[in-house]
Amino acid sequence: MRDNRHEVIVVGSGAGGAMAAYTLTKSGHKVLMLEAGRDYDPKTETPMFKRNGDAPLMGAATSDKHFGFYDATVDGGWQVPDEPYSVAEGDDFYWWRARMLGGRTNHWGRFSLRFSEHDFKGKSRDGLGADWPFDYAELAPWYDKTEELVGVCGTNTGLDDMPPSAEGVLHPPPQPRVPELLIAAAAKKQGIPMVPMHRAVLTRPKDDRAACFWATPCGHGCSIGAAFQTTTSLLPMAKATGNLQIITQAMVKSVDTDDQGKVIGVTYIDKASGHTHNLKAKVIILAASACESARILLNSKSQHFPDGLANSSGQVGKNLMDSTGAHLGAIIPALKGRPRYNEDGHTSNHLFIPWWGHAAQAKGELDFPRGYHFEIGCGFREPGAGVSGSLQGYGKAVKQQVWDNYGAYVGFSLRGEMLPNPDSYMEIDESVRDKWGIPVSKFHFKWSEHELKQIEHGLKTAKALLETMGADVGELPSAEQAISKGGSIIHEVGTTRMGSSAESSVTNQWGQTWDCDNLFVMDGGVFASNPHKNCTLTIMTLAMRNASWLSAQLKGGVI
Amino acid sequence: MSENITPYQYLPNMSRRESLKWLTVLAASAVVTSVSGCSFISETEPVKVGHWPDLTPTPIEVAGYGTDPNLILPPESPWPRTLSSTQLTLVAVLSDIIVPRDGAVPSATEVKVPDVIDEWVSAPYQTQQRDRLVVLNALAWIEEESQRRFNLGFVGLSGEQQLKIMDDIAYNNAQTPEEFKRIAKAFDRFRGLVLAAFYTSPEGSKDIGYLGNVPIAGDYPGPTEEARQHLEQVLASLKLSDYAYS
Repeated sequence: MRDNRHEVIVVGSGAGGAMAAYTLTKSGHKVLMLEAGRDYDPKTETPMFKRNGDAPLMGAATSDKHFGFYDATVDGGWQVPDEPYSVAEGDDFYWWRARMLGGRTNHWGRFSLRFSEHDFKGKSRDGLGADWPFDYAELAPWYDKTEELVGVCGTNTGLDDMPPSAEGVLHPPPQPRVPELLIAAAAKKQGIPMVPMHRAVLTRPKDDRAACFWATPCGHGCSIGAAFQTTTSLLPMAKATGNLQIITQAMVKSVDTDDQGKVIGVTYIDKASGHTHNLKAKVIILAASACESARILLNSKSQHFPDGLANSSGQVGKNLMDSTGAHLGAIIPALKGRPRYNEDGHTSNHLFIPWWGHAAQAKGELDFPRGYHFEIGCGFREPGAGVSGSLQGYGKAVKQQVWDNYGAYVGFSLRGEMLPNPDSYMEIDESVRDKWGIPVSKFHFKWSEHELKQIEHGLKTAKALLETMGADVGELPSAEQAISKGGSIIHEVGTTRMGSSAESSVTNQWGQTWDCDNLFVMDGGVFASNPHKNCTLTIMTLAMRNASWLSAQLKGGVI
Repeated sequence: MSENITPYQYLPNMSRRESLKWLTVLAASAVVTSVSGCSFISETEPVKVGHWPDLTPTPIEVAGYGTDPNLILPPESPWPRTLSSTQLTLVAVLSDIIVPRDGAVPSATEVKVPDVIDEWVSAPYQTQQRDRLVVLNALAWIEEESQRRFNLGFVGLSGEQQLKIMDDIAYNNAQTPEEFKRIAKAFDRFRGLVLAAFYTSPEGSKDIGYLGNVPIAGDYPGPTEEARQHLEQVLASLKLSDYAYS
């Protein structure tokens, strides 16, 4: 049987799954990857250079394409056809999924910031949340290897929130744009640093991938492979080893165990035929996304595991965290009507504001425990379905206002760390099943005072920066009004967290579940905390490190 | 009105040359109506409480373009258009008041803005359905207002008469009289759509000064010398020169 040829089954083809498969196949292991969505080829499907005016509704977001017509996401977004989820009454939670090869890596923001020692040991410092079961020094060489493979542009800033990459790893970042240079000056006056963003965008060619040519939004996908996505990099490279087989349209329902409780394989539904299949393998790696992997575990009940597989701690589905989000922006009068030039760049912020408050937090000067950063929105963007500014009149007069406002808007998007709390978790809604008969996820979500205080600080800071640039900001919204809805920043992690004890965590530091030594989780579910720095780089780094460890175990006959 | 002048009608699929011909007809008809001495309600007589058509168009329940549309060859007519030819003509006239031809820069109708508006208000999605309600009511209000003031449809009014109505509804601020507040807000949305439709056209995109979407070999060049000099002036004016990024 064909499944016997595979040593490892990987569920999911996104950041974690593709990196795990790449690492294992490079080490000579036969891997079978199951992807719940359709096959996807960025080389032929990416709408490179396509203009908003050529799309229905000027490219605007709709309930079919939640991030706009050209967004790379296939069959997904806040809702997936035929695959609902439940949210507890009174709570808000949004769950972004993609049903395509490469998953969410096809459209992600490519922000790639390392976690620091500070981030891995938050609980030791302030008693909140959980520490990670290793320190930064352990992960640093793996960050180097991952950044090298993925291709990340940026610089070593020397700031305490941004640990340095090894010499020669980072690609040079693009030059800042005019509004970013203005914000940087305003921030410096306020004692706040502004530095090049780290993004998984090649600015020098690498492998079969071209360097960025400074046009066409990364969110559409990148057919030239400059903006990292697994479909132009890890997956073709893993396939080239001859050790990777991929089955798409394969919706995994459960991880299967034998009479002794040993993990033996998975059950999946072929979406094309509706037929159920069982596959066997020596090792199963879940990398279906934090909440999908937790859903699979909770749905994998048996006599040995009545509360779901690998859930003896009761922590599967718990500790659900997103990043905090808030936005404040304004037209900067001094930027009105400014000289035009091409500001596409790599189509996202070239400079950003990292967290600068570690020292103040250590001194007890801030009333919230964890940090945030600001991403910057500005520039002469391609015109779309929205026109900037409050307009009056018609004819030449209104066109003049549009001309003046174009490129004069500056926005600060806060992304901050959320602490785990007992009101934020997912479970299985036994009363609702998806089209494939699989019980769906049910989300519970609440922000705590820690996050609200952080948002309040962020709003005040953004207001001060905008006012330093001469903008009229007016009254700020309350933190409760301004904070994003749970899940909407799409950094959901923590539902199968790693730790140093089987009582309080689902996996050990290798992503190996405490309860089943041949069952691993290699997506964002293993995060012990959710630092403000965007999860994907660390998902990939952990997957590379932990798949390497797994390979050694397999070769050593330990598993 | 002289009988040998055909009333202007926006034709959704006409070529640019044809639309220019129709615009000439429109201009001629505007001149004729302005001198024809049609009776009208004096604009000095305020509408006491303001009027509102309160149209409740039936919801559009056709399918959208789906969750996996072809992004390389986007669907050209993803759903049936719903504006009547009368409504479309009114949209065309209003669009060209908002974005008239300016030298070499085309007007809204020349870059097919009414077609984009028709696609927008005919779409089955929530945002567009909300806008449909706003736009259809705004169009009906403008037509009603035109009949009240001038006893004539808006399209048939003289340019001067049209602008009298525009001047009352195109400004939405603290000074806006109560009776025009609602239409001013609705017109603001309509204007936003017209402007977006104009600036997403190749000609509009050029007019606003968007210079991107072109591949560049080598490193991103960053701001031009002119843009850098402007930034220095801005930094100086805000007393931020000492904090310049380095």
